[in-house]
Amino acid sequence: MSEYKELIREFDKIRSYVRDFYIYGFKTREDFREKSGRTYDNQRRRMESWFADYIRFDHSGHKKSLFLTLDSSRMAVNPLYQAWKSKTFTDNDITLRFLLSDLLWDGQPRSLEIIADELQENYCCLLDTQAIRRKLVLYEREGLITKVKQGKQYLYQWVRPLPHTHPSLIPALTLAVSFFQGVSPFGFIGSTILDFWNETNRYFRFRSDYLIHTLEDEILLPILNAIEQKRNILLTVKSTRTRRTDTFTAIPLKILTSTQTGRRYVCARQEKTGRITSIRLDAVQNVQFLEPDENYEQYADSFRTIFPHVWGVSFGDAGKSRMETVSMELLFDEEEEAFILSRLHREGRGGTLKRLEPGLFEYTCRCLDAGELLFWAKSFTGRIRAFRCSNPAVEKRFWSDMNMMQSFYLTAEEDSGNPDSSKNVQTGETISHEQT
Amino acid sequence: MNKPDFPLFSELYSCYYQVVAKILKEAALHPLTCRQIETLARDYGGGESALSIVPRLIQGDWPFLRRENTSPPTYSCTLKNPPFPQPLTGLQKSWLKALTDDPRIRLFFTDRQLADLDWYLADTVPLFRLSDFCLFDQYKDHDPFSSVMYRRHMHTILTALGERRFLSVDYLSQKDRILSHTWLPCRLEYGQRDGKFRLYAMRLTRTGRQRMDILNTARILSVKKTDSVFPSQVDVDRFLDRTLCPQPLILEITTRRNALERALLHFSCYQKKVERMKDSHTYRCTIYYDRRWETELLIQVLSFGPVIKVLGPESFLEQIRQRVRKQALLGDKTYGQEQPHVIC
Repeated sequence: MSEYKELIREFDKIRSYVRDFYIYGFKTREDFREKSGRTYDNQRRRMESWFADYIRFDHSGHKKSLFLTLDSSRMAVNPLYQAWKSKTFTDNDITLRFLLSDLLWDGQPRSLEIIADELQENYCCLLDTQAIRRKLVLYEREGLITKVKQGKQYLYQWVRPLPHTHPSLIPALTLAVSFFQGVSPFGFIGSTILDFWNETNRYFRFRSDYLIHTLEDEILLPILNAIEQKRNILLTVKSTRTRRTDTFTAIPLKILTSTQTGRRYVCARQEKTGRITSIRLDAVQNVQFLEPDENYEQYADSFRTIFPHVWGVSFGDAGKSRMETVSMELLFDEEEEAFILSRLHREGRGGTLKRLEPGLFEYTCRCLDAGELLFWAKSFTGRIRAFRCSNPAVEKRFWSDMNMMQSFYLTAEEDSGNPDSSKNVQTGETISHEQT
Repeated sequence: MNKPDFPLFSELYSCYYQVVAKILKEAALHPLTCRQIETLARDYGGGESALSIVPRLIQGDWPFLRRENTSPPTYSCTLKNPPFPQPLTGLQKSWLKALTDDPRIRLFFTDRQLADLDWYLADTVPLFRLSDFCLFDQYKDHDPFSSVMYRRHMHTILTALGERRFLSVDYLSQKDRILSHTWLPCRLEYGQRDGKFRLYAMRLTRTGRQRMDILNTARILSVKKTDSVFPSQVDVDRFLDRTLCPQPLILEITTRRNALERALLHFSCYQKKVERMKDSHTYRCTIYYDRRWETELLIQVLSFGPVIKVLGPESFLEQIRQRVRKQALLGDKTYGQEQPHVIC
């Protein structure tokens, strides 16, 4: 039985655990059945160590659940980045990391033999020359060392740190990195720059920040590379609903990020169906590179044509390409509730707005899947005088939801004012507007 | 230029390396006792990191400390040079290069500095292209990042933040009134949804009381540095604690329409706790929130419709009831009276 270690070898092994502890939080040991109980215990212990400040426990009967809870707008650095900083290493790795940087700090180029001799002489550290060479090659590939050929041998030179070579960029660059580590894709890389410079983010905080996105970065990078290389990929996707795993070939076209729901998608053309679809990045388990696709530009053009008609991420049902129209009449006080108008302007995503009479506005939008608009429409509850949709199912869903809301929150007397509001409150799914 | 294949998950960025570097930095200043080393490892590492790091450093498996002949034993650093700053890896430079396409990068640099940065990154391939991303639901009225005036204001604010210097600000309020005051900039908050910077700035009232104001950076008309400097760092969170709602929001979430997963992800940016209800397919989610964001939270809850039910607190519940009641009355006017006409 191997000894427990805080550090890990592979990132994808802990991805789903961090997600479960952070997003759900109510799961107990029994809920993690995909792997052994011992694996769960080890992962839980890691979470407790990495996220010690944000871990809480809850006891329900004799079962204990562990969860990760924090207010993202108070965080200087995403605590989940810690998962990226947990790669295991050997004694030789850390020894060479510190001794080589110390020895080569003066910027003088040295040969492998001289480096080995000086490590022994200066630090009493006898290391295998091949191990040193392998590390020098790795550091050269990583950009920490430069290599020049002199005669028959290579000389290695430590790269001078940026704050020393470009002092005029400091502190501006530190501030920029402090900001972008919180808002940019692959932000954890920015946080490692702060680590390398022994700096912290002192001045920036990030509101409505979906910290969980960082867990998808290992999947995101190859997808972005495939987009750049106009290449097909084989995606392994595990449904967040059914937990079923599926694989299919697709050509990725765009990364769609929601600032409101916490989801990120890869928008891709599926080879089998020939349709453009959006796949959640947190559902993608693996990405495998396939051949470049010579028709990439054609698919990209197709995306550019269709996407302005997409409200969110849905490109509509298969076999149905006709546009749907949503029309919503909103009643509000233009002076006292001017913010409603501002919301319609800034959140309306290409819809049109018409002032029907003072205090009454009609918002109309044509899109491929009107169902996606429901979420936003319901945020105006209390001001919607009329809601119509060319897709009857969407309209039904809207009114059905409104009925159910009334049954939840209004007394029987208040609720009785609304025709048939007491009916069908159990389903909330397919109540027909026409039935009422 | 081909993009090098840098691993994201690499030992080079290990938290342990950073902890060791911090210990060595301290040990270079003065020899450390075992207890001091443990404290540093606990402060900068994970909860259990000290258990792995300290014995290896002290026993010499990682040969960076030398035991001194003192009682109690102390340890000094064997390295001759400071562990910080370290040179950037190719991956880090590649990430920086990708940022140079972002219009917000100009807010941090002068043109001269940007030219220097471009020169430094000239041979670097960007890790990603911003054009491959689309924030499809971001609000349309984000801050004017390319505006010359906005950029100038941000430069002044960023400098003053570092110097803890008071700023003289003319500000256009939400009610379109011009406010002129002296504020100490303390923190900049960026909202991903609306693409806006908000400046948390402290104001000293006539009575000497400190109050924290939040200014929309785009509504600043003019900003000038003053000669006054505040002597210490301001604890902004202490001010924010005062606006936390005393009673958390309690929601009942069903599993229909994938609501549980959607809602928990949606509200993941809040501090929250989720419990599974016995003998039912519902979950109880407790959200701790700032009073300033109550309306926004209310709108978000309404968006979910009947798959989420608000259980408390009473003040929040009453606001929901009001909206639903108003909607019921509005709905009465059209609901069932006329068939919706099909537009297309």
